[in-house]
Amino acid sequence: MSVSTAELDRARAGALGLIRSELLKIRTTNAWWWFALGMLGWTLIALAFNMWFAYFAFNDPGMLGPEAGGFTSPEYHASNIYTSGQFLGLMFVMLIGILMVTNEFFHQTATATFLTTPRRTVVIMSKLVTAVLIGMAFAVVITAIDLAAGAVFFHTQDLGTMLGEWPVQRAILLNLVAFGVWTIFGVAIGTLITNQLAATITAAVLYLVGTQLAQVAFFVLSAWLDSEAVLHWQVIVPSTASQVMTLGGEGIPGSPEWWVGALVLLGYAVVAGVVGTLITRKRDIS
Amino acid sequence: MSDGQIVISGLSKRYRSVRAVDNLSLTVEPGRVTGFLGPNGAGKTTTLRMLLDLVTPTGGSATISGRRYADLTQPLRHVGAVLEASSAHRGRTGRNHLRVICAAAGFPPRRVDEMLHLVGLTPAGRRKFKGYSLGMRQRLGIAQAMLGDPKVLILDEPANGLDPEGIRWMRDLLTRLAEEGRTVLVSSHLLSEMQMLADDVVIIANGRLVTHGTVSTVVDGIAHPGTVRARTPDAEKLAAALDADATVTPGSDGALLVTGVDAPAVGAAALRAGVELHELVTERPDLERAFLELTSGKAGVR
Repeated sequence: MSVSTAELDRARAGALGLIRSELLKIRTTNAWWWFALGMLGWTLIALAFNMWFAYFAFNDPGMLGPEAGGFTSPEYHASNIYTSGQFLGLMFVMLIGILMVTNEFFHQTATATFLTTPRRTVVIMSKLVTAVLIGMAFAVVITAIDLAAGAVFFHTQDLGTMLGEWPVQRAILLNLVAFGVWTIFGVAIGTLITNQLAATITAAVLYLVGTQLAQVAFFVLSAWLDSEAVLHWQVIVPSTASQVMTLGGEGIPGSPEWWVGALVLLGYAVVAGVVGTLITRKRDIS
Repeated sequence: MSDGQIVISGLSKRYRSVRAVDNLSLTVEPGRVTGFLGPNGAGKTTTLRMLLDLVTPTGGSATISGRRYADLTQPLRHVGAVLEASSAHRGRTGRNHLRVICAAAGFPPRRVDEMLHLVGLTPAGRRKFKGYSLGMRQRLGIAQAMLGDPKVLILDEPANGLDPEGIRWMRDLLTRLAEEGRTVLVSSHLLSEMQMLADDVVIIANGRLVTHGTVSTVVDGIAHPGTVRARTPDAEKLAAALDADATVTPGSDGALLVTGVDAPAVGAAALRAGVELHELVTERPDLERAFLELTSGKAGVR
């Protein structure tokens, strides 16, 4: 039976419809598949490395050198192993967030999108919500793999599963949150830099190299000012903030509390989201 | 304010030093096909994009049925627009492209297959957009615009890339939609096509209104009447027989082009002089000529 005009008259664009539309946009193209494969591959590599690291920390701490103090704590290793894949996983979900926006400009679908929903704030909001859902979905899959592999590993080390410890549970939960937040970053970066190539390359380079460069800069600054306290400010670098959030306080000497990282990350997400929305509202779509 | 009427008043858009659209005012009525014409860079696309709230005007306003596009409660139900042919993700199928829009607008998903059928794209629906010809892309654009069965249709160069059969299909579709009482606003370069299709025309150049009216008023509005073409084996004798008002220039194909007098006067002169006539036609001014005269010297890069 054909769709009647009365049915069309009744149609209303709700928040759910917009989120479904955004999810459809991702499902109906191939990019997410490649990101999923990349994330899976990286998670397996990270798991292997983290388990190897934990194995030596438990069985042969001398290997890690005299300063291995904090690294022998089983809680630290449990948090580390159960959040394996975070480093590149966060970058991948950020790139997905970037593509959610820049694809609209690269393929000129922004016109159709804004004709369907002229209230641009609503469009960006639905992209942000969808981004969080996708980021979390990827995190759930990665965490499931980490939990299966990690539980087996800790059993072989006669440590049970380590899943009863609150710091470990907290790390796992906050890891899920981190994936959501980084996808939000991605959406915001996409609205700031609509050129797809420029946005993805800038974000990936800043993420991969910027973190290490910032670390070096902080060490130089700390030596120059002769102040250890300066090192604590590293938490203002977003990728460091998310590491502090999931692993912070546990095992890394001198690291700020986990909630400091959480607050920093939340602050960036809010600022990025608001700036991105404001810019998109003003932009001429031509 | 009648339903489906487009009212543009004092609309302006400035990009730094360029006035892309300059204090443009016009109305477009429902139930008619209105051709929106202008040389390249005249501001047609910018005007349409301002009408649809995609580009922010620097002055003036544009409304559809008395409201700004962004204030329409169901924008796609009210207005359908085809703005550029290549506006879908290359890796997405045409059908999925429409599903994405249907979901966002809240329309029933089966509307997608109905519209693919309407534009004759059903067999290609599950193929990726990158494999579509320009004509298929235009058809997908029409399907997208018709999803909400809108009262107003706005099309930017819809005939681009269509083959003769496709152009005919488009003409029949747009004529039918206007007959159903909808507003149809079409920008185009194809003047002969517009002459066949449009009831009204709007001509702009340099971002300003040049003329606006029915096709016949615009065409007849050109001051001097048409040229008379005469073919005769004895051209010099005929030229000498014509009265002083006539200007005679030899045409490229050997015929004489006479201006200043009408065809009966040329015929009478030939009879008086006893000159044989093989052809005598008044070349009626058409939309193309009107357009070229009205916009001459106004086109170009600004």
